[in-house]
Amino acid sequence: MGDGKSEVLQGTLDLMVLKTLYAMGPLHGFGIARRIEQVSDGVLDLNEGTVYTALLRLQQQGWITSKWGTSENNRRARFYSITRQGAKQLERETENWERVAGVMDRVLKLERQG
Amino acid sequence: MRKLRMLWARVRGQAAQGREDNAFAAEIGEHIALLEERYRSQGMSGQEAAQAARRQFGNVTTLKERQRAQRGFLSPTEWSRDVRFGMRMLARRPALNAAMVLALALGIGANTTVFSIVDAVILRPLPFAQPQQLTDVQSSDTGHQYEDSDVSYPDFFDWRAQNHSFSHIVSFHDTSLTLTGVQRAVHLDGEVVSWDLLPLLGVSPELGRGFRPEEEKFGTRVVLISHALWVSQFGSNPSIIGRTIHLSGDVYTIVGVMPASFRFPVDALQNSFWTTLAVDNDGTPKALTANRGAHEMSVIGRLKPRVTLTQSNDDMNAIAARLAKQYPDTNTRHSSVRVESELKAMLGDTGTLLLIVLGAVGLVLLIACGNVGNLLLVRANEREREMAMRSALGANRTRLVRQLLVESVMLGLLGGVTGCTLAFVATPALLRLIGKSVPRAADAGVNLPVLGFALAVSLVSGVIFGLAPAARFMRGDLLSQLRDGGRTDTGGRHRLGAVVIVGQVALGIVLTAGAGLLVTSFIHLTRSNEGFNPDHVLTFLFETPDSRYENSRAQFYQEYFEKLRALPGVESAGGSMMLPMTYNGATVSFENPEHPLPKGQLESASLDLVTPGYFRTMEIPLLSGRDFTDADTEKSPQVMIVNSAFAQKYFHGEDVLGKKLKPGTSNGPKSPPAWRTIVGVVGNIRTGATDREMDPMYYLPASQLPNWCCLYSVVRTQRDPLSLEPEVRNLVTSMDPDIPVTDVRTMHERVALELAQPRFAMVLLSAFAGLALVLTLVGLYGVMAYSVARRTREIGVRLALGASRIMVLQMVLRQAAVLVGIGTALGIVATLASGPVLRAFLYGTGARNPMVLAGVCGLVAVTGFLAAYLPARRAMRVDPSVALRYE
Repeated sequence: MGDGKSEVLQGTLDLMVLKTLYAMGPLHGFGIARRIEQVSDGVLDLNEGTVYTALLRLQQQGWITSKWGTSENNRRARFYSITRQGAKQLERETENWERVAGVMDRVLKLERQG
Repeated sequence: MRKLRMLWARVRGQAAQGREDNAFAAEIGEHIALLEERYRSQGMSGQEAAQAARRQFGNVTTLKERQRAQRGFLSPTEWSRDVRFGMRMLARRPALNAAMVLALALGIGANTTVFSIVDAVILRPLPFAQPQQLTDVQSSDTGHQYEDSDVSYPDFFDWRAQNHSFSHIVSFHDTSLTLTGVQRAVHLDGEVVSWDLLPLLGVSPELGRGFRPEEEKFGTRVVLISHALWVSQFGSNPSIIGRTIHLSGDVYTIVGVMPASFRFPVDALQNSFWTTLAVDNDGTPKALTANRGAHEMSVIGRLKPRVTLTQSNDDMNAIAARLAKQYPDTNTRHSSVRVESELKAMLGDTGTLLLIVLGAVGLVLLIACGNVGNLLLVRANEREREMAMRSALGANRTRLVRQLLVESVMLGLLGGVTGCTLAFVATPALLRLIGKSVPRAADAGVNLPVLGFALAVSLVSGVIFGLAPAARFMRGDLLSQLRDGGRTDTGGRHRLGAVVIVGQVALGIVLTAGAGLLVTSFIHLTRSNEGFNPDHVLTFLFETPDSRYENSRAQFYQEYFEKLRALPGVESAGGSMMLPMTYNGATVSFENPEHPLPKGQLESASLDLVTPGYFRTMEIPLLSGRDFTDADTEKSPQVMIVNSAFAQKYFHGEDVLGKKLKPGTSNGPKSPPAWRTIVGVVGNIRTGATDREMDPMYYLPASQLPNWCCLYSVVRTQRDPLSLEPEVRNLVTSMDPDIPVTDVRTMHERVALELAQPRFAMVLLSAFAGLALVLTLVGLYGVMAYSVARRTREIGVRLALGASRIMVLQMVLRQAAVLVGIGTALGIVATLASGPVLRAFLYGTGARNPMVLAGVCGLVAVTGFLAAYLPARRAMRVDPSVALRYE
């Protein structure tokens, strides 16, 4: 963490992927990785391979689906898109995340007493 | 829900591992290529770009492995590692593992064998279209006071015309005719059916056509012949259709040849022809087809679509009630109808018996699983250190348990393969034992469903006996094992093994007690007095067709029996139409002037038509009066003989000689039933080997009813009865070359055939009980030996502190006695609770026979003592100094 990059917190990658698909519509794995890289502004230290583990996990839960198609530069690629259940899950997870983040925020802002 | 969904996704994923692997490789390959492209466009060299792309993507191999694990349950590499490791474990203790595989193989082999029979007999549907629509239809009476009975033609015709339940309904009864005009006359079995048998069954002939409705009409003679007859007698001639053949002197036209696989009835393997009920119509008002009192037909129906059994029962009962009102003289006792599934009706008690045997053999397998489980438990104890070590090195618990389960499933499969091999050998032997006593059993074989069953049984048993050791690891604190080395055991820890032994003893008692009951019953059957002497008796049958003997039958038989008695080696000879042990029988009502009853409610009893000398030949004692003689002819006063059960039941033991009765038997349309004088009383006989009672019977002289055909010949010989067969055949051929002699058997053979079912039940259950007992004792021995080995140090301490060796012996024996005692107590309770399932198959013993139960408990106690004594003696001989140094 010394070089100013942050590791991805466990469990948060799923949420990031879900949100990306929600916001951007169907994307292939490479596209998702690019989008996260762009948004994180180079702050996150992400092994792009782990995106695929998250995709498989989400797919098994039924939150996203995948379909083979052709990418913008005419290559075969697997496109992932969010399902209706996935959107609901995203809503729940977002709320949850905001609650936890709020708590973390307040805790970390505690002033030293006395 | 979410968890279920995940599980399902993984099950599917596991199945698609290979395909998904390739797709995934392509997907990430593409990803890395795109990354490389990007770096190159930023100005890196090819080499640098490739390296940077890989760095950014992360470790591909690890990812692939993780992806596989997430996709299903086992990655192929882990899977093969587990299997390889399992094989090494199996190879490490060959003797122990061979013992386990053997126990399983015996259990699975026995199960597979029995299942192959159950599959063929019970599970396989009848070989006809939509077999679930086929029903058996029986005449019955409303109060169920009398047994269900066969059906008369006029009733059947009314059923056929009036019912709303059946798309087809067909009557059938056995017949046998003699085929002449071929090289050598042959006796053929066949069936007389209504015209629409083939449409009902949904079967077509392989050649020609089925019957037409008009072929039920008086005077028609048409046959369908079997494939086998077509081949054997007509050289598979394709132009056979339309040809005529001579059957018992009548001319029949062949209209079709049935496929080789066709059998009707399903258990009549030897049927060679089918003809229409026109043959039962002689055009007179007394013809079988017009006689409402002659109940000879079986009836099969095909339910219309969406008609239930209940609906059809209601429908048919309404018809039967109407007929009973309309024809009180004949139908009072047939006022209702019972419709049930054809397969169920055909199997009757036999289905239950087979399921009992299957249950028994399942218990044997359970006992075998118990043994293997116990041995695995022992081995698991030995491996505690290994497991603790692996756990300390980072293997998670699921991984360890999975390893154990893989090993036990491998054991199960090994046992399964060996067991299937055993089943291949054992099934034909079992089929020989069953003979013809179970319908459809002849079709049994080790086929795909049976192998599937064996595989399922192996897998399930592998999991069952693998669970015990696995459960230990799930619970136990592995690290503490590592600390104390897991060597000393002080009794209590091995509780699971003890529970298994108790269960095994209990199951063993149940099985052995069941076998004991069947053995007792079988001994009773073989020793019970049949009322006649079956030693040195030869029996056989031939036909005397009406076409030739209608007016000379009595004369022919008289002449024939005289010649038969004159053969060398023949002591006496006689004839009987309803010979005991042949399943032939007839029940006919009679009028009794001392107890007049309305016509529809007359008493009836079994009847037999016999010749002079029959009682002497069978050694049925003549208790009073006289036997029939050649002087009893159609013209002489009409006479009859009754048995003592008859005299007792209908005359309460009074002297019956000289009393008169009128049985409803007539010799053709021109001579109505006659009053007959009772001239003799004979002893009772058992007409079937498994009959529980000796029923009232009456006998009429065959010579006074010469229209009735045909008589079995009964010959008492001085030498081996079967050695007489050639002479007998020659004699009959010399009198009429067109009469083939058939069904030649000694009376002992007939009795044995009737006992085939109780015999196979007894042999099977005894074999399984024996197997169960041996497995249980081996298990007990193993557990005791292991317990002694674990307690060596404790015993050493006891001895060192002054315990006597006898006390040590007692201590070990007491431990075994407690296990066997609890098991026996549970076994007794289970036996008493389950005994009644056998009741229908027991003769001369109740289902809860205290002698049998006591004997079984004694047997288990004695053998259990022996199994425990060997380890106990070893415990007694422990050398305290060695034992204490041992750790």
